[in-house]
Amino acid sequence: MSSEPHKNVFLLPQTNQLLGLYTIIRDRDTKRPDFIFYSDRIIRLLVEEGLNHLPVTPRTVETATNQIFRGVSFLGKICGVSIVRAGESMEQGLRECCRSVRIGKILIQRDEETALPKLFYEKLPDDIADRYVFLLDPMLATGGSAMMATDVLIKRGVKPERIFFLNLICSPEGIENYHSKFPNVKIVTGAIDACLDENKYLAPGLGDFGDRYYCI
Amino acid sequence: MSSLSFDQGSTSSLFLAKDNADKDNHGSRYIPPWTTPYIIGVGGLSGSGKTSVAAKIVSSINTPWTVLISLDNFYKPLTPEERELAFKNTFDFDQPHSTDLDLAYQCLLSLKQGKKTTIPVYSFVHHNRVPDKSITIYGSSVVVIEGIYALYDQRLLDLMDLKIYVDADLDVCLARRLSRDIVSRGRDLEGCIKQWEDFVKPNADKFVKPTMKNADAIIPSMGNNGVATQTLINHIKSKLQLKSKKHLKELVKLGYIQNTKALSEMSNIHELEPTNQVLSLRTMLLDKYLTRDDFVFYFDRIATILVSRALDDITCRKGSQIITPSNIVIDSPTVVEFDKVTAINIVRSGDCFMKSLKKTIPSIAVGKLLIQSDSHTGEPQLHCEFLPPQLEDFEQVLLVDAQIISGAAIIMAIQVLLDHGVPLQKIKVIVYLATEIGIRRISNAFNDRVSIYAGHIVATDALGTDNWARIRFVDSKYFGCD
Repeated sequence: MSSEPHKNVFLLPQTNQLLGLYTIIRDRDTKRPDFIFYSDRIIRLLVEEGLNHLPVTPRTVETATNQIFRGVSFLGKICGVSIVRAGESMEQGLRECCRSVRIGKILIQRDEETALPKLFYEKLPDDIADRYVFLLDPMLATGGSAMMATDVLIKRGVKPERIFFLNLICSPEGIENYHSKFPNVKIVTGAIDACLDENKYLAPGLGDFGDRYYCI
Repeated sequence: MSSLSFDQGSTSSLFLAKDNADKDNHGSRYIPPWTTPYIIGVGGLSGSGKTSVAAKIVSSINTPWTVLISLDNFYKPLTPEERELAFKNTFDFDQPHSTDLDLAYQCLLSLKQGKKTTIPVYSFVHHNRVPDKSITIYGSSVVVIEGIYALYDQRLLDLMDLKIYVDADLDVCLARRLSRDIVSRGRDLEGCIKQWEDFVKPNADKFVKPTMKNADAIIPSMGNNGVATQTLINHIKSKLQLKSKKHLKELVKLGYIQNTKALSEMSNIHELEPTNQVLSLRTMLLDKYLTRDDFVFYFDRIATILVSRALDDITCRKGSQIITPSNIVIDSPTVVEFDKVTAINIVRSGDCFMKSLKKTIPSIAVGKLLIQSDSHTGEPQLHCEFLPPQLEDFEQVLLVDAQIISGAAIIMAIQVLLDHGVPLQKIKVIVYLATEIGIRRISNAFNDRVSIYAGHIVATDALGTDNWARIRFVDSKYFGCD
């Protein structure tokens, strides 16, 4: 089970294995196939952790020996929302756990004139207000685009406490910024880096996640 | 099962003239029983019921790694001329020299030394050893060897810890032989009588009956020997316990005894934390109406969680440094070498983990062990092993099975790994569904030094209602054939 270093921040257990995985993806010498594979593994762990926060309801099933087993089953509908492009890399991890999950998209880019993030595109399930939402973006640096995306979700009627923001690395500043506006959104992450550098990049970080996953 | 009484006084005075099982060194540390198996010889006339007695001993002592060997397997291959006679029922099978006692001695000696041993298979149809077929016995804690000449050869006798002669009147033996040969083997009465008169009876008087004097215990033929057999079984149990006190106490009783430490308090046993996801997945997988498509999908999911959990505390080292793409140097990062992990799957049920293993470590080296329970004795036998080369160079060896019921197969598999130079602390058993008894048996067999990662452990107390944990359904459903 994850720990909660800040309220509503769920940090994956910092096991040997997880630390080893992060070493691989942070290393600039790691080739793309390995980067993709080991990022996917961390993403899978994030998704599993996020799913663990969903409620369940008692359910009784009949076993192969015709006995009754009192267990539980998932309750509530979910959907994924990825922030284009890097967030899309996390969709597969979500699909591996929830095969036919609906996935919405949000494209936010920096406006060249104002240097502020600007919403370019959104495509979300019609009934998103009834769903638990897994917001997918691998890096939480300043939190600018994640906050804009969360705004979009809330305007569509999603309750903040039903949003899970999944990312691989976040910065303390990012968490603070984001939670100052959305204190009830749960952040599920695998690493909290020391700080942001002068260019507002995560330090030590792992470079541009989208570039490394899709191009380099 | 749980109540075993060892009434020393009555057992030794009633039937047991002497007993050599006390020669073991009790004072030494824990000795796994398969390195010095307890060997029981059961001899007696043809038709005396020794096979039934031997089978009853095997089933009653209920210890993993009990092996029942019939001396019938050691019949010498016949020459063409002899074979001719055999087909005409005129070959004397009942002489001591028709059995390859030299080979039987070699096999028994190697079992006594805890080595992997191969036993031939004899075909009565062809009157020859079955080519390319043999039974591999890989260590055992108890060996029961039965046959008319089990108590004949002094070298065999010297290896035995307990010698039992099953006594029956010759006319009873004849009656039994007749009904067996005529009813079950389709022979004619005349031939049977002739064989009896010409070979069986003379040899019985000349060679078999005298072996009675080599016995520690003489028990009456079946039918009225329930008390005698039970007394012997009690004695064997008590001897086994004396021989390897710590091990046996747990092997026989473990799982049935209540005053042991709770599994959750044992540092080597790890059950998946019952999170909402894990509980929901377990529930779905137990639902008999779940489609196979969904079963495979959800099993892969929970298996991936489990494999990943087992690797959480993988051995790691501190690397010198790495540099991130933004040129930040990270000193002494945690480095894990996933290519030093190998998985050994128990065929076929361990293969349910193939997808999750590859999902966790894409190029993982995978070995296979085929261990099956003998349908006659119920005891596990190692049929074949395919292990990665240089197994001893891996830092972590995952031993993978979908279900643990008695635990016997995993105990055997662990022993195979130990014999291939893998130290216990490198082994991690991964299993989706396990009974508490099975887990305890494995843990106890290796002094709580083997790590076990289980998806779902069903407590002994719950087994009354939860006996789905005692049937193998996971691999049947995963692969879609029973």
